[in-house]
Amino acid sequence: MPRNPYASVESTVLEVIAETPTIKTFKLRPSRVIPFKPGQFMQVSIPGVGEAPFTPSSFCGIRDTIEFTIVKVGRVTEQIHAVKPGDTVGLRGPYGNGYPLEAFRGKDVFVVGGGVGLAPLRTLMYSLFDMRKDLRKLVYRAGCRTPGDFLYWEEINSWAGNPDLDMKLTVDAQDGSRECHVGLVTSIMDFEGVDIPSAIGVACGPPIMMKFVTRSFLSFGFRPEHIYLSMEKNMSCGFGKCGHCRLGTVYCCKDGPVFTYDAIKDFEGIWD
Amino acid sequence: MKLLNRADSELLFEALARDHCLLFPIRRNDQLVLASSDKTPVAEAVIGEVRTADPLKALFLLAREKVAQGPSEETPGRRKPFCVIGAKACDLKGFKVLDSVFLDPDYGDPTYSALRAESILISSDCTTAIETCFCLAVGVKPWPEEGFDLNLSPVTGGFVVEEGSERGRELIAKHAALFGEPTAAQLAERDAARAKVEAGVRELVKASGVPDQGALEGRVMKQYESKLWEQEASTCVECGACNTVCPTCHCFLLYDQGGPSGPARFRIWDSCLIKDFAKVAGGANPRHALWMRLRNRFEKKFDFFKKVAGLYACTGCGRCISACPGKIDIRRVLRELVEDNA
Repeated sequence: MPRNPYASVESTVLEVIAETPTIKTFKLRPSRVIPFKPGQFMQVSIPGVGEAPFTPSSFCGIRDTIEFTIVKVGRVTEQIHAVKPGDTVGLRGPYGNGYPLEAFRGKDVFVVGGGVGLAPLRTLMYSLFDMRKDLRKLVYRAGCRTPGDFLYWEEINSWAGNPDLDMKLTVDAQDGSRECHVGLVTSIMDFEGVDIPSAIGVACGPPIMMKFVTRSFLSFGFRPEHIYLSMEKNMSCGFGKCGHCRLGTVYCCKDGPVFTYDAIKDFEGIWD
Repeated sequence: MKLLNRADSELLFEALARDHCLLFPIRRNDQLVLASSDKTPVAEAVIGEVRTADPLKALFLLAREKVAQGPSEETPGRRKPFCVIGAKACDLKGFKVLDSVFLDPDYGDPTYSALRAESILISSDCTTAIETCFCLAVGVKPWPEEGFDLNLSPVTGGFVVEEGSERGRELIAKHAALFGEPTAAQLAERDAARAKVEAGVRELVKASGVPDQGALEGRVMKQYESKLWEQEASTCVECGACNTVCPTCHCFLLYDQGGPSGPARFRIWDSCLIKDFAKVAGGANPRHALWMRLRNRFEKKFDFFKKVAGLYACTGCGRCISACPGKIDIRRVLRELVEDNA
């Protein structure tokens, strides 16, 4: 008989970091090690209340703790935002495929993030830093609504000194809190020195942002099968049984959540 | 092929009831419903006729079932395996679809997997058809051809018994004294009865105009932008009854609840017609319009499953036709799908 795929692993909340007024990062210690890959997601639950899907935001090389950066947006996330260090939450997963890092070897990697999409991309960036010598150019472009909405502001800015990273940040509008370039994230997508035919494009953020970033990648000549998108759908089970997150002939949870653009471009509702 | 007379069949069922939850169809008003031998004498079993009102999936996947309890990784509440008597070919095809979803080595549903592995299915031929039957159009005969342990074909003097699995062969061997040999006349009677009910279903298929499944290949995608979805959805009241009674609809929601015995997680049936089915917490909804959700139901059954599992996820049982308060008739929708008027 298969093991119970519906059960969560009890995890202790070690630390809660307020990132913005509506976003917090939770550092958890699962009661047993849960290995995961960048881009895979898990179901985080409040016992007896409910669960919701999130992609970790910490380096997957750290084995005993996992961080999640979560926006307060619905019934479950409101309860998650109320947890304190010492509380117990549940973790189920990891689910899905994650980014195929092996396929990135020897290539230019152009990563574009927006809003809370910077959370899963932090996990990816740590892994890309870890394998930096195996990559050609590494580009990071990130945008948020205002500087105050920027996740990991100090940390990301500390990457600016890294000579192996080509990084630019932008915001839609200033809020007086920190200095930042103003403009849509597509306005800082410049490809000088990037070998477009072989380059890897990665986009993670709100659907509307991913739509325009994908359009930009395509217009500059990126191949549809080299553009990696992280799709957010209503995943409930996480392993292709409950039916909620189906896109055409694939389940976002099991076959994704990371898809190349060519794999999903003909399905209805990918940007909704 | 064996023969089992009615009195011996009851002895067999009573023997099987010792280790199994014995279920069989009984008549309630103008419908057949499943009853348990705990409460109903086996003599009331109606073996033959047509499918029950409820699909068999309702036993193997309860509408609301506890799947996790507290921090334990054990599956709670193991259920006694079933011995289902009188299952029909349409429900057996339903299992083919459900098995493709719920049995898998990595993430199989523990309760469903155990019940499927341990339950006995003693099916029976349909001996009549009702107006909503259209199994022949989706490749199902009104008698079981696969997916059963034993099949019973009602004839004068009892049932002609066919073995459909190793478990079925073992059952006959274990209860050999109950089984006899059918006569040539009884076998001929079985074939004649089958031919008669098949002709009856064929008439119904013809009258409704439902196309054969061979004509459905690629049609949902071809008619994806058709006006037919909006037209058909105009009477849909989003009740989800079609999902509930469908022997292949498998979608569910995991629902967490607190309680005196600690937090628990339930697997509850969900319906893809309901507005929030695909909606995410941030508000985005890829199927925000009702007609998109109706189209999605047909896409899932007649495009997704064909491409992913190699079969159409419709058994021709017609339950959704009877259940729909909006009179959305799947046979009409399928007919419109193959007509080129979009």
